[in-house]
Amino acid sequence: MAAPASSRVVLEGENLSMRFGGLVAMAEVAFTLNRGEILGIIGPNGAGKSTLLNIITGIYIPSSGEVRLEGQRLNGVPAHRIVMRGIARTFQSSRLFADLSVLDNVIIGRHTHTRAGVFDAIFRRGRAKAELEASAAHAEMLLKSISRGLHEQRHRPAGELAQADRRRLEIARALATDPKVLLLDEPSSGMDDADTDALMDDIRAVCAQRPDLALMIIEHDMRLVASLPHRVMVLDYGQKLADGPYEEIRKIPRVQEAYLGRKATQHAGA
Amino acid sequence: MTPRKIPAPGASGAIMGMATVIAVELVGALFLRQFLLIEDWRLVIGLLLIFGAAMMVMERVPTVEARIEAAFARHGRLAILLGIVIVLGFPFALEGNTYALHLCVISMLYAVLALALNFQLGSANIPNFATGASYGIGAYASALLALNFGVSFWLALPAAAIVATIFGFLLGIPSMRTRDSYLALVTIAFGVVIHQLLNNLEFTGGPNGLVGIPVPELFGHSFGDPLVIFGHSLPAQANFYYLSALLVLISIIFAGRLHDSRVGLAWNALRTDELAARCQGINVTWYKVLAFAVDAFLAGFAGTIYAFYVGFISPDNFTFLVSVTIMTMVIAGGMDNILGVIVGAFLLTLLPEKLRAFSDYRILFFGVVVIAFLMIRPQGLFPQRLRRYGD
Repeated sequence: MAAPASSRVVLEGENLSMRFGGLVAMAEVAFTLNRGEILGIIGPNGAGKSTLLNIITGIYIPSSGEVRLEGQRLNGVPAHRIVMRGIARTFQSSRLFADLSVLDNVIIGRHTHTRAGVFDAIFRRGRAKAELEASAAHAEMLLKSISRGLHEQRHRPAGELAQADRRRLEIARALATDPKVLLLDEPSSGMDDADTDALMDDIRAVCAQRPDLALMIIEHDMRLVASLPHRVMVLDYGQKLADGPYEEIRKIPRVQEAYLGRKATQHAGA
Repeated sequence: MTPRKIPAPGASGAIMGMATVIAVELVGALFLRQFLLIEDWRLVIGLLLIFGAAMMVMERVPTVEARIEAAFARHGRLAILLGIVIVLGFPFALEGNTYALHLCVISMLYAVLALALNFQLGSANIPNFATGASYGIGAYASALLALNFGVSFWLALPAAAIVATIFGFLLGIPSMRTRDSYLALVTIAFGVVIHQLLNNLEFTGGPNGLVGIPVPELFGHSFGDPLVIFGHSLPAQANFYYLSALLVLISIIFAGRLHDSRVGLAWNALRTDELAARCQGINVTWYKVLAFAVDAFLAGFAGTIYAFYVGFISPDNFTFLVSVTIMTMVIAGGMDNILGVIVGAFLLTLLPEKLRAFSDYRILFFGVVVIAFLMIRPQGLFPQRLRRYGD
């Protein structure tokens, strides 16, 4: 017996629009994300993919419409509280804390799960230190589970890492917040095929360890889009073009045209 | 268990480490003593060249720096104990030179101010040009309490720090609507407003300032009297020397504990990337305001000691230039490094005094020396270190 649909949905968007002055970056987009599901988002540059992520994570407040996490409205909730509710993200151009160690980056991801303030740090040092050491232990464990190689580099500054390891670290940092929903913004950008394959294996391993975790991945790499997501949503000019399994959406001519370009459409038709 | 990078020290390694710690601290203290006591400008230049050469060696041969650092990490307790002994004994080595003692007191007060600003500029990259104003608020608040209500120094000290902290919050909240250069402008404006208020208000004494701030007393011993320890008499400045040293110690403990805590990490996170910090659940606004408050709190303490030490304060002691000087100390000394900030404060306080022989050109030489040190060590004399856990 499948669970009732309402309890499977973890994140949903309804009627989302985003206007910057006269520019409409997003028009009436709706989406749902189920527990344990991987949703791919594709679309040409400027289609509104990153705008959608910024709306979900509270960086933008939508001009109209609503985002709900487990039925609770997220509109207007500040970005740092949305993390606390259980949505974590990575960035298109990786935004690590480059001058801090790899381990510190992940420990900062534990921020919402720790309490110590200025008074604890100064006057109740034992307590603050124990809490931080626990975060450090958790971070070490997380790094080890994601990549041995990354764990071995944990005392290096994050800025010195290779591109593939930076992505892994960003994912580790996001996972440190114990999210229900993880949003990945073009995780494979700037990677070669071998690195992308390794990344896909890492993401599969992460999902296998956390069966309830829902993923939303913005991607351009069609190999990844074809094999990883359960479902793909296509955006174009801020509107939703299609939503369904990759095998279905790739056959829709408008999708081919919008995403792959006219030439490719003719090629596919031939 | 975390694998240690440093090979397990043998008996000879341990002795070498201890010897390194002792040698570095004694040489540092000796250097400071000579720098304080010499009068001849040629010797001053000579000592600066030696210091510059030492810094250049550390920059060129990183293993030297790494070895000294490792020795201090391994023999931390010895380093702290010896450091305390040196600080306690230092006034006895100054041959009763009251001017040298006075410079020590002022340097230590600036060290506290630089440590205060370091929470913002070093940890969180908030360009606050109002530390001098917080310093002044602390000084005026305590002096007014003492002069109008007869409050003793020991009560005025925490009271002034609280007043300065409240003003810190008042500055922090509007500053949150701005960032970078605009934030710097807001803090500059705040500093100017405070200076103008002190200059024009009736109850702050206007441009004449406040005169006749009473000398503190402790257990019947007046801080204006010479300090007699074990039959050895030290000039009256020694009282304030020990008081400021205590404040520096407290500031170091504050700074160290905050740096190695969740708060320090959050500051560092928003320093590098504010958006990424928000997306890790850090309330960026709150942590910025907090940095303003902590800065003002310590600056208020320093202001109180200054007011009671010199006994006379006027608005000109707390100008914009003071804030800029404190900022230079943090940048030249090393952002987010406690030792670096303190060395920076001493160097920049003592330099103008020691270059008096150049009379009108001394500010020029001062600038040249600061630029030279920044060229030798672009990250500051002692740059930021990565944190370690479980060691």
